Amino acid sequence: MAEREVQLEQISAADFFYRNKALAGFDNPVRATYTIVRELVENALDACELARRPPRITVFMTRSEERVDGRGTIYRLTVSDNGIGLDPSDVPAAFGKVFVSSKYRLMQSRGTFGLGGTMALLYGQITTNMPFKVTTARDGGPVEEFEMKIDIKRNEPIVLKRRRLADACDESFTRVEMHFEGSYGKARRKIVEYLRQTAIVTPYADMLFVDPDGVPYLFVRSTDVIPPLPREAKFHPKGVDLEILMRLISTTKTRTLVTFLTTHFQRVGSKTAREVVRLAGLDPIKRPRNLTDEEIRALFRALRSYPRFLPPDASILSPLSPELLEEGIKKELRPEFVKAVQRPPSVFEAHPFIVETALAYGGELRPTGEIQLYRFANRIPLLYDVSSDVSYAVARRIDWGNYGLRSLEEEPVALFVHIVSTKIPFKTVGKEFIANKPEIAREIELGLRICARELKSFLHRKRRAEMARARYEAFARYYELISEVVEDLTGERPPVEKILSKVRPPAGVKKNGS
Amino acid sequence: MAHEEAVEVKKRIREIALKIKRDMEMGRFPKIRYPPNTSGNIEFSEEEGYVFSPRVYSEIRGSRLKSLKTLAGILYGMDKALDHLENGLTMTKRDFYYIHKIERLKGTLFPKDQRETDSRIVLMELVLGLPREAISITSDPRGWIYGDIELTDRSGRTIRADQVGEMGYSVPPRPENIKFGRIGVKAVVAVEKVGPAKNMIELGIPEEHGIAVAILKGQASRSMRRFLRMLSDKGVPVAILTDLSPWSIRIAATVVYNSISSAHIPGLAAPEARFIGITTGDVETGFFSDYRFALEPLTQMDLKAAQDNMRLPNLQHPFWQEENRWFLEKKKKAELEIFKAMSPSARELKGLFVEYLRQKLDENLGIAI
Ligand SMILES: Nc1ncnc2c1ncn2[C@@H]1O[C@H](COP(=O)(O)OP(=O)(O)OP(=O)(O)O)[C@@H](O)[C@H]1O
Ligand SMILES: [Mg+2]
Repeated sequence: MAEREVQLEQISAADFFYRNKALAGFDNPVRATYTIVRELVENALDACELARRPPRITVFMTRSEERVDGRGTIYRLTVSDNGIGLDPSDVPAAFGKVFVSSKYRLMQSRGTFGLGGTMALLYGQITTNMPFKVTTARDGGPVEEFEMKIDIKRNEPIVLKRRRLADACDESFTRVEMHFEGSYGKARRKIVEYLRQTAIVTPYADMLFVDPDGVPYLFVRSTDVIPPLPREAKFHPKGVDLEILMRLISTTKTRTLVTFLTTHFQRVGSKTAREVVRLAGLDPIKRPRNLTDEEIRALFRALRSYPRFLPPDASILSPLSPELLEEGIKKELRPEFVKAVQRPPSVFEAHPFIVETALAYGGELRPTGEIQLYRFANRIPLLYDVSSDVSYAVARRIDWGNYGLRSLEEEPVALFVHIVSTKIPFKTVGKEFIANKPEIAREIELGLRICARELKSFLHRKRRAEMARARYEAFARYYELISEVVEDLTGERPPVEKILSKVRPPAGVKKNGS
Repeated sequence: MAHEEAVEVKKRIREIALKIKRDMEMGRFPKIRYPPNTSGNIEFSEEEGYVFSPRVYSEIRGSRLKSLKTLAGILYGMDKALDHLENGLTMTKRDFYYIHKIERLKGTLFPKDQRETDSRIVLMELVLGLPREAISITSDPRGWIYGDIELTDRSGRTIRADQVGEMGYSVPPRPENIKFGRIGVKAVVAVEKVGPAKNMIELGIPEEHGIAVAILKGQASRSMRRFLRMLSDKGVPVAILTDLSPWSIRIAATVVYNSISSAHIPGLAAPEARFIGITTGDVETGFFSDYRFALEPLTQMDLKAAQDNMRLPNLQHPFWQEENRWFLEKKKKAELEIFKAMSPSARELKGLFVEYLRQKLDENLGIAI
């Protein structure tokens, strides 16, 4: 047998994602075009929400030069926002390194992995070999422009140019400019749909997208109300995995196991902490840093099996609110009826979550022959794999006939499901559909049923009013005819108004139930 | 005469229109009261047949949509009928249906099918208390009379019913106005089927024996029944000759007693008329007893009709019940064409007809021919 040299190659995180770009939604030029826009827009929205200002986001995409070898089209993309901006010293790491994120906390936000934006830039660099540009400023601070590349092998930023454009600015902002090879034509529908759905779930944002053909898509905000900023929270003891526990232990400054538990976890007082430690068979005053791997595993098991933790604190979550959801739906879809509800907080696998649902009917909505289901997670629209999503399964199992609808496919009805959580149980890294967790499914179903009951009574009133109107019109037709015939027979035409005033229909249906 | 009638009809229709006009002016829902031809309003007696004697009334109300359509419908129908009447035109039920198939009536009275307008004709009869013929809606005429009867009809001509062609006088849709002159017959024999009736005429039996032959051609039409009643009122004995079958028994009874569906039209029953045959007695022991082999079997439909007959108010007399029970028992029927089975040659046929009629007219009406 030939001696074989085993070569262990260490690859950087950036390198790893470069090799597995399908995982993050970059598997083909069409999908990549969509994903790039989406990641940059999400970062912009996150930044604006932190700034507590109604977001004002512009997205410009133009065709750059044709490739000489004819491989594909290069686009230039510029995304600007009025968010909190970055401290210039943070720019290289935030944009030039994967797994750097300001969002690695237990907090509800759009971004989670410290990956999205950087992957987009990385993809652009790989396909065009061109640098990207970031211009940013914080309130009152200097405006600086960075021209950068990413060292893929080492997962390190390379700053090519750094310029100070102004010493001070009035309002913070960020502008990211990049080139990438993509395919806009086929991605157009998805991108516009993504922005429209974002406008639904962010009715307080102004967004302008000008596409490579010069076609503008404008989404104007219809409200100034911004939902409260999600609060940061400690982990719930049942919500940590072994990985996070080890990281906490290796970085903690606490000196005993009991204080470690009370300091880093919510819902853990010293009494509870002592019980957990006893359950793990450990010494309460042991220094966390000195725990062996075996002891850490024992502690982890104890955290998992301890039965008396209070459920996680949901007050840190920031759902949209039924009012804003209805607002967004009304402004983008113009239905005749809309009803949104927010379910009380609930818990899955130690993560708090809140479900918001809505139903819209009629108006400019049209039946499409398919279930019109809009899904949102932490205010991000989910556009792919609808039929694998938990909401889809729930929508299919509800008996819509009981709510006065023949079927979802044949009626002008749209469903909306928004889930906010410190952890959204996505089935894939692509963040496209949500796993069928029974706790979540249950809340979605209850929410949709409440909306459906409201829709039912709306439809009932509407149909009654329609019948009354039809009845009135029939009366009018018959009395007109009778009046004519009576004139023929008697020479005098009796008026119809007096009689018809006795069958006036009830004045119109109210637009919405309450 | 005809003109006077039109004036009366117009008066009734105008009254209804004026009442509706007043109601509309006052902002009141108009309504029309009428006696429906339901069983509660129809009496039966052997002496008079079906008689319409209203006890219960219905209302066509302008406050309910379905009823409003009916109201508009009969008003429109009466208006058009009056127009025809005043211009000396008649119309059939089919015409009446087409009078509704116009652009102006889309969304109101434009009919789905003729049943819709037909049922409104009956309503108009009930509301006006007049037969539809009085408002110019007539059926295709059906029925002839052949014999020495002189009459003057609307055409103004005086006619002898044995001198107007080989079938005799065709009874008009509305015989009401006919005036009889000299009547030279001892009786009228009303025959269900055209074939045997024509044979009697062709064999010269009416002339030789002083009788008239009325040809019903199936169920007697309203005009034929009215005509027979008028003759009966003139003192002419009426005899009815039909097949022996569950259907024919109804035909005979309708001539005598009228029917439920036209019970609201007076003067259609001829209670003095007599059913002379074919009877079960003729088949069992009488005239045809040697020709039972020529009977026909009853079909399922025939049997069903026989079962239904047992419950008809005008067939409750023991005579009819006995006759009808025979069908249920024997599951057979006899047709008038049985005469042909008895006498394939023309010469004998005449003798058989005369012999049968002589026997039957004597037995039932005491008339010798
Ligand atoms: N427009 C912006 N304004 C301010 N900060 C930004 C902006 N874009 C990116 N950042 C910073 O850069 C970090 C990295 O962004 P990146 O998109 O790579 O990861 P993320 O948003 O944290 O997570 P995800 O992988 O889910 O997108 C962010 O956490 C944020 O701190
Ligand atoms: Mg991001």
